[in-house]
Amino acid sequence: MPETIQPEKRKRKSSVGSRRKLLPWLVPFASVRLTLALLSLSMVLIFVATLEQVRIGIRGAQAEFFESFYGIWHYPDQFWGSDYLSFFPIPIPGGYLLGGLLILNLIAAFIVRFQWSSKKIGIQLIHLGIILLLVGQLITQAKQVESRMMINKGETSNFIERFHGVELAFTNVTNPDSNQVVAIPQELLETGGLFKHPDLPFGVNVRRFDRNCDVTIKQPDQPRQGLSKEVNRGVGFTSNLFIKEKDEDFSMDALNFSFVIFDLINDSETMGTWLALTHPAGNHVWESVSPQLADFSFQPLRHQGNLWGMTLRHEREYLPYSITLRGIENEFYQGTEIPFNFESKVTINLDENQKRDALVYMNTPLRHEGKTFYQYQMNKSADYTVFQVIRNPSWLLPYIACVLVSIGLLWQFSFHLISFLKRNKPTPQMA
Amino acid sequence: MCMKNAKCFETLSIFFWVQLVSLSIFSCSEKKEITSYEIPSEYDGPVVAWNLPESWGENPDLSGPMAGSFHIKTELGPSGRIGVMPFREAVATRDVVNMFGRELGYQNFDQESLDLIVQKKKIGDKIFEWVPLTDQSGSGESRMVLLALLRKDQETWLFPFIADSPLVSQEMKNFKTFLRSVVVRAGKLPIRARNPIATTSPVPSATKPTWEAPEHWIPGKPSSMRVGSFLVRGENGKQLDFSITSFPGDVGGLLANVNRWLGQVGLNEVDESGLTNYVSPLEIDGKSAQLVIAENDEKSLYAALLFQTERAWFFKMIGDSELAKIEKKNFLGFLESVCFHNH
Repeated sequence: MPETIQPEKRKRKSSVGSRRKLLPWLVPFASVRLTLALLSLSMVLIFVATLEQVRIGIRGAQAEFFESFYGIWHYPDQFWGSDYLSFFPIPIPGGYLLGGLLILNLIAAFIVRFQWSSKKIGIQLIHLGIILLLVGQLITQAKQVESRMMINKGETSNFIERFHGVELAFTNVTNPDSNQVVAIPQELLETGGLFKHPDLPFGVNVRRFDRNCDVTIKQPDQPRQGLSKEVNRGVGFTSNLFIKEKDEDFSMDALNFSFVIFDLINDSETMGTWLALTHPAGNHVWESVSPQLADFSFQPLRHQGNLWGMTLRHEREYLPYSITLRGIENEFYQGTEIPFNFESKVTINLDENQKRDALVYMNTPLRHEGKTFYQYQMNKSADYTVFQVIRNPSWLLPYIACVLVSIGLLWQFSFHLISFLKRNKPTPQMA
Repeated sequence: MCMKNAKCFETLSIFFWVQLVSLSIFSCSEKKEITSYEIPSEYDGPVVAWNLPESWGENPDLSGPMAGSFHIKTELGPSGRIGVMPFREAVATRDVVNMFGRELGYQNFDQESLDLIVQKKKIGDKIFEWVPLTDQSGSGESRMVLLALLRKDQETWLFPFIADSPLVSQEMKNFKTFLRSVVVRAGKLPIRARNPIATTSPVPSATKPTWEAPEHWIPGKPSSMRVGSFLVRGENGKQLDFSITSFPGDVGGLLANVNRWLGQVGLNEVDESGLTNYVSPLEIDGKSAQLVIAENDEKSLYAALLFQTERAWFFKMIGDSELAKIEKKNFLGFLESVCFHNH
């Protein structure tokens, strides 16, 4: 028997060996030690990011440590010896670096370490699933967009707004049937300078943009101070606002008031300097803050016989369909304020004749045209609901990865089980 | 050594490629740029837009109910003030006129007296209520307020033009061009501007005249600006309405008032030369006045205008033509009995 098995073993070994000879530079990346080192560093990364989450919030920790190639960690002030250690910046490998190397490590192992045989196909499927999981996460990080949609009961909405990121929007509302919107995104506002667009009959010169500020309403007779001192048009001028820059708050309940100070330029002549300010809960809230600030949701500008509205708002995406909120229900565990169920009855208006009813409740989202609508917030007394809207082109990858890993595990365990059962099969006794 | 260097290079190069692939994934994310798109109209507020004449400039302190505020560029700097104010549907012309009139020294107008000064003016495809108000404070200022009211879609749009009279005259063409260019559309949401609350200011009793009316004239209730009022009834339900009103200033002068009255009895307007067809001199309490007789087959208007230094007095009878002819003698007798007791 041994004589018949040995050539197959040699063949398999020679197959792995030939691949190693063909790709010798890949061998170090297939190292199990590297795998263990990367997994250990991942644990360190998670530990550090969890500590930092207390200081800079979930979004800040995510951006600093997971959505980067490296992060800088300062020893926490609360820890022992912080007087001496907190000054030293400690670089921590970031999510992109560790994730990228783990993918490389797995692919390398796949190529130069694993045996390509039916006996080991389960192992290969498991690792393929894990690679897919990592790649899926990378694509999610790069492509996923999180937004929200707020709808009052009985009303219809056809747009979603980003949780983070604003835009300076100019809307021509003169036409009673349709409005022309020209929006400058936050990334461009941050760079500043003069912006022009064929659909905008004037230029926009961004003087200053910040993601957060302190706002104070001064008395009209008080001298103009602060960043908005140069503003001479619109609400920023009539309300005598005092604007003071402030660091962005990354915490979960952060209230960041983004602002932009800009000039409008018509044929190289300035039409004035405006201030636009965004309310974190939506610009419609300004009216309840102070009637004189209500125009921050629509600062009018008449130009060449047209009425334009200007506002700095959360980046908005209009949908080719609209959603009507028909009803809401919220239930709590008896005697507590712990939500048991939030439920929104909606109708998706695809066009005039095509409608689709749907029920959105906790853990049961609505999926439509590449977007997933999760039940996020609700206020029954105020009769409105808020959906968290996720657009993730790679949302299927984790499911496929899990299926692959499951099949691989089943295959591998079944293979060993069958081999074990075969080996322990009782030999028939000779009579 | 050479082999080791080669391996090291290969290792570094693969590390580089991994990072490049990772970066390329992230660089695939949407590049931010200015976006432009069209959406179904979602603006609920009122729309008002215009083309500004070249000699005008926008005022920066736009606030409150003002939808627009402008000045005229002159050699001496910004001068005058033109505004755009949206009002709720319930706003009455009288309330608006009183709001501005009080500042110019006018007593409050009632509907009757308002009819004397309000004209209809068609500019482009829009019809405006046109109310010229001049300074009545006696301070010698030539300040003037020209109010143009536009009723559209159950809302009122007010365009006040406040400036010295010569500047108003000079910029009248631009003002009309501006009004012609105005685009207005009512909003679904209520406008924030408030309906001005008018307060009444009756004629001072010291200046109020006395008169003797025929016994068959039925006295009516005086209003805020109607100093006296009578109803004259004839046969077959025929009626005449007699009113005595008084206003600060000349409320547009003789021609404007005569033309307004001619319109009330269905006659065409006249120019200065045509006034003689309807107007003849008269004396009231020893003061020079004007008698206006305008009539057609069905309706007649007899009126007397008395322009005093600070106030104008109007005695007007309007109604059935046949009854008016019968009551003409009584009307003239009434005018003779008027006494201001100030001489």
